[in-house]
Amino acid sequence: MNKAVLGGLCAILLGCTSTLVQAETLRLANHGQAGVDAMKSTVERIEKKLGVTVEVVEYPAPDKDYLSKLLTELGAGNGPDLFSLPSTAAVADMVEAGYLAPITTEINAWEGYRNFYDVAKKLAVSPDGETYVMPYMLGIQEIYYRKDVLEKAGISTDQPKTWDDLIARAEEIKAKTGAYGLLFPAGVSWGSGAFDEGFQHLIVGSKTPQIVTDDGKLDLSGEGVRDVFNVYKTLIDKDLMPVQPLLGPEPWVIPKYEMFPAGKLVATTCGSWCYIFDWGRESKTPIPDVLKVVGTWTVPGQAGGQYVLANLAGPWAVNAKSANVELAKKALLEIGSVETQVSYAARIGNIPASKDVAKDPEFQKLTELVPIHAAAENGTFLKQAAGFGTVAEGVARATDALLRKEVDAAGAQKILVDYVTETLGEDAMK
Amino acid sequence: MAKTLQERRAERQLMIVLLPSLLLLFAFVIYPAIYSVYLSFTNEALTGAAARAPRFVGLRNYTRLFNDAKFWNALFVTFIFVLGSAIIGQFVLGLVSAIALRRRLVFRTLFSSIILLPNAAPEVVAGFMWISMLAGGDHATLSRIVSFFGLPTADWLQVFPLSMIIVVNTWRGIATAMILLTAGLSTIPQEIYEAARMDGATPAQMFRRITVPLMMPTILLYMLISTVSTIAVFGLVYALTRGGPGGATELISIYIYNQSFTAYQLGYGAAVAVIALLVSLVLGIAYVRAAKVEI
Repeated sequence: MNKAVLGGLCAILLGCTSTLVQAETLRLANHGQAGVDAMKSTVERIEKKLGVTVEVVEYPAPDKDYLSKLLTELGAGNGPDLFSLPSTAAVADMVEAGYLAPITTEINAWEGYRNFYDVAKKLAVSPDGETYVMPYMLGIQEIYYRKDVLEKAGISTDQPKTWDDLIARAEEIKAKTGAYGLLFPAGVSWGSGAFDEGFQHLIVGSKTPQIVTDDGKLDLSGEGVRDVFNVYKTLIDKDLMPVQPLLGPEPWVIPKYEMFPAGKLVATTCGSWCYIFDWGRESKTPIPDVLKVVGTWTVPGQAGGQYVLANLAGPWAVNAKSANVELAKKALLEIGSVETQVSYAARIGNIPASKDVAKDPEFQKLTELVPIHAAAENGTFLKQAAGFGTVAEGVARATDALLRKEVDAAGAQKILVDYVTETLGEDAMK
Repeated sequence: MAKTLQERRAERQLMIVLLPSLLLLFAFVIYPAIYSVYLSFTNEALTGAAARAPRFVGLRNYTRLFNDAKFWNALFVTFIFVLGSAIIGQFVLGLVSAIALRRRLVFRTLFSSIILLPNAAPEVVAGFMWISMLAGGDHATLSRIVSFFGLPTADWLQVFPLSMIIVVNTWRGIATAMILLTAGLSTIPQEIYEAARMDGATPAQMFRRITVPLMMPTILLYMLISTVSTIAVFGLVYALTRGGPGGATELISIYIYNQSFTAYQLGYGAAVAVIALLVSLVLGIAYVRAAKVEI
């Protein structure tokens, strides 16, 4: 009898202990092995500083599949406590869904935040005025071009001034070298990249540079949207952009990892990571002396101006339904540290949002990123709104139709508008 | 006539035996199906405002669906895919293999193993393997074969996407067809063939007058299983083409996935799933009626 009572007490004690341990465990969802590696020392620091156990769950999938898995878990109420998001475009919708816990008070009180670039802070503020994500890394994108190929062919490497100028340069490249002159990611297979790495570059310099009205509605019927699609149309019709690889299942592989290093594609939009991972020291097809032979142009506006696109790169957020919201918020501030930013920069090639990083000796070793970090404050961005994820998918569908030469610019715009209207309803549209 | 005590006890025992299966069937098949029907009348989503507070929208998803050209395209692509790969490809090749394997062939065991091999590879692995065979460029297997014969190469999944997924799914499904049809063939007594042979029947006449009629129940059962399972094919085609290019291989299953997990519109995706379920149900009933099977 005594044994039975003792056994029962032990079981209850064990149960209580495991419950306590469970309450002190934070579950982090990270995207890809590089991200997990970058977080290693941060995880150890969080465990030590906050006295918790951190369980890191890796979701090794393309952006779109990662987001689907994350949203499904959050929707089902069993999402991780902390998670990274694949793009800025997903944030506003997730806020509307009630998945993200606001961190405005905590982040504004945090000393480290004062040193963040304003562009990062602005990108982190949601349409409701609250901050929900840690904007610790920036994706800075421009046009990267093969300086060596242009010089050899006697083509100017000067910054193109307008869209017409850019297209004329692409035509000259095609005529003199036979190579493709310019690539803007497009099509359904590229996923959110068609919007993040393509469409956005051009729309910010168009006649209608924002697609969100003051009251938060989506305005996709503007002249600028059609003009952007017309740039794609021109590049495709004149065979200045590789089309066939973009219709395949991994559209970035052939143009970025094969054609560009071989000089068969001379200019493409890309981010700071390209100098290291796509064509640099960590690439499988590195371009020798990449910093010398690959130059950058800002994206020209339709009628002038220069634009460098800034996005939040893999921002982290706290699950609003987490059992440990306050603890998760403390861990989130650790993720925003300079150390974590440098670790991510080294492994993923994005730009730290903190100005202080410039003085960090480890960051100074990343010579490819130092000048881009110094100029990061000048980044341009689109005003965010709920429905951006749908807009990104609509852009992918519209540009896919352009790639297959099924529609003209107006037709592509109609595909975009129809898709977004059907999906989000008339109320979401201007 | 009143049931005896023994009969009632036997019925009760039968119910107890069936109960676990019925519970599982209800939890994993019937309840999700009913829930899908409910979802199809809402604007439930995985993200955005509708994820927080979904609303009842009546028939809106269905009216949208019937006006959606992409839905009709998906239905058409699925029809061609089922017709080409399940009803024609797998059935014909499965029957040929089943008949061939009844004869005393040299390397019969090896031949059987080769036919069964496609089922050994997981569908996504099989998909990626076929991508390497059908890809563009001079190094892909099919391009190397056609260029050996002096023919032009192509990016097969881009130029003939629907035909290619039909070929791949046929390859994958021959074994199932062969096994089922072999079982059907084995039920036909050899004496009937011997008698027909003595009466001077040709092999073609024996096939038309004996094999096909006597195998009809098996053939219809196979058609039912393969049609319904081919409508639900997802992984293999998703790995191969993701429904592209431009919706050319967007089967109804991929369309449901894209609406639910790419556009995050669970309500609309559920409406498409309900229609797909109805199509499968109608086809199932038609086959069962044709086979004159009592269920």
